[in-house]
Amino acid sequence: MTRVSVNPGRVEWSGENSGILLENSLDADYATLALFFRIVLSPHGRGDAALVLGAPDADVGWPYAPNFLMTNNQRMMRWIVDGWVRKFSAFRNRPGIESMKWLDLHSICCQPAHLRSRHREKAFGSDIELEMVWSDLGEPVPVEADRSHSPTGEHDMYSVFVEAASASVIVNGTPLPGQVGCRRIFDRTMSTAFLALSNTWVTPSGTGD
Amino acid sequence: MPLSQPVTPGTVDWTGENPGILLKNPDGTFSAMALFFRVAWSPAGPGQLLLLYGSPNSAESLSGAPNLLLGDNSELADFLIDNFIGKLPAFRDAAPFNALKYQPATAIRASGDPMGHRYTETVACPNTCVELVWENLERPRALELTPDQTGTKEHAMVTLLVPARQAQIIVDGNSLPGEVGTRVQAGFETTTAFLYFAETWIIPEGT
Repeated sequence: MTRVSVNPGRVEWSGENSGILLENSLDADYATLALFFRIVLSPHGRGDAALVLGAPDADVGWPYAPNFLMTNNQRMMRWIVDGWVRKFSAFRNRPGIESMKWLDLHSICCQPAHLRSRHREKAFGSDIELEMVWSDLGEPVPVEADRSHSPTGEHDMYSVFVEAASASVIVNGTPLPGQVGCRRIFDRTMSTAFLALSNTWVTPSGTGD
Repeated sequence: MPLSQPVTPGTVDWTGENPGILLKNPDGTFSAMALFFRVAWSPAGPGQLLLLYGSPNSAESLSGAPNLLLGDNSELADFLIDNFIGKLPAFRDAAPFNALKYQPATAIRASGDPMGHRYTETVACPNTCVELVWENLERPRALELTPDQTGTKEHAMVTLLVPARQAQIIVDGNSLPGEVGTRVQAGFETTTAFLYFAETWIIPEGT
């Protein structure tokens, strides 16, 4: 095992970046894309956010479609959406990203329930009550992805993934469409519903601005 | 730098945050020691825990300098004592270790900005309030350590280190004595006051 103990790159941000990507049953494209962020370190401070595209290919935002981003740190999330979310394959070139409504996040409530079977995040703000639920959780998987394996294709990424066999995204009591599927990532097949804990992104040395 | 295979061989023991402050006397011995844990996943569930040796040379707490184990998950406290803290010689071999008694915390709160000037963790129980303060923070560094480079000597570990050049342990409004010192981690000279975020302890495959 060959390692360089201190990564010479620039640490960008760190925290949690869990997701629920729900597929259409007909064409396996995504019907719902949702990400939850709990950021503990970034150049723009700390903060929380929930990004929901319940109609990822619709060029409209909340309240006309369930496309919105709720956050208590807008500057940080503008930076993360532009530098990371737009580069994730499931989100790339989705009209919903451009038209999603930016809303204030007033509070969040985490109910991890031991992380053995079920995890729930609730977010409240701007007349929206959002619930993201991950169920049938697996064992934690330690991930160290270099840029060739990283979801952005640009960063080193460290994380612990906990896969969920089932999941739901509920907005004001209404479940958004789609079902949990599988995808190829990190050289293996993994669920499209996952907790990404202890998630750190590093711009490799010699590639940053 | 990350290995060429994206999934690290081994089993996650626990993951979360693990900042600490080790204050030293002029003779180099420890005058006060604190570790804080905010665990996102462990076999004992998530939770938070403060370990404070206000009197590291005494099994009993001295006046104004308590030895404390405060948290919000007693099962997690037992897990960390048995599987982690008990494998760190500086903490395991200190006088208070075998006399520690877990108490539920009434409030636990982080504040500040780890990429700014100051960051704090505050933990309270009915009779005591402890504030850990890190100041004069250096830039964050991502570390990947093999078992021979970690405190337990059993785990591989990845973490995000933010060293602090100044720090205080404040108990009920009074700073405990001692100064931040230096230490070497994986060949890198750093300080005895540190924030560790996104820290994952991995039991290597085959052990």
